[in-house]
Amino acid sequence: MTAAAFVLLALAACGFGYRLVFGPSLTDRVLGVDGLIVVGVCSLAVRAMQTGEGAFLPVAVVATLVGFVGTGIVARFIEGSGQ
Amino acid sequence: MIGPGLALFGALLTLLAAVGVVRFPDVLARMHALTKASTVGMVLALVGAAITLDHPNDVTSLLLAAALQVLTLPVGANLLSRATFRAQQEARGGVTGDSQDPVL
Repeated sequence: MTAAAFVLLALAACGFGYRLVFGPSLTDRVLGVDGLIVVGVCSLAVRAMQTGEGAFLPVAVVATLVGFVGTGIVARFIEGSGQ
Repeated sequence: MIGPGLALFGALLTLLAAVGVVRFPDVLARMHALTKASTVGMVLALVGAAITLDHPNDVTSLLLAAALQVLTLPVGANLLSRATFRAQQEARGGVTGDSQDPVL
């Protein structure tokens, strides 16, 4: 069941990567990065469940916070630049 | 059994968010798809792992990550969507008669 979750997360990463590369506006690229962070945190949780070892789980907390700060900063940048 | 099932459902919701981000026609519609589905999907995956794992350190990290995601993702999405709306408004040339003009 965890292998199926990994397959679904890989397909989701393909979709977010498409939006990151081909996104017409800067907001679309930020959406792609946000989605890739979500996929990364989900795959950390699934991997910890698969192996029963949670040494990497604080990385999930840090990735969540870094994603929020990055989104806020890029939002300020978009508001200033008028793009 | 219930933990991997929750994680599989969370991964499915994340995939649905990715489909919405690829397929929706407008920037704000794409942001809507990402914020709704990926918040629930990520919280389901983290809670499923927290049910499965035993050690208190792991459970604390997972639940802290889920709580931070629920707290911060709506705030970030609000900042980003308001900035995008204002930038689109400036690109259209000032006041447009949009119903959100006095609010945003």
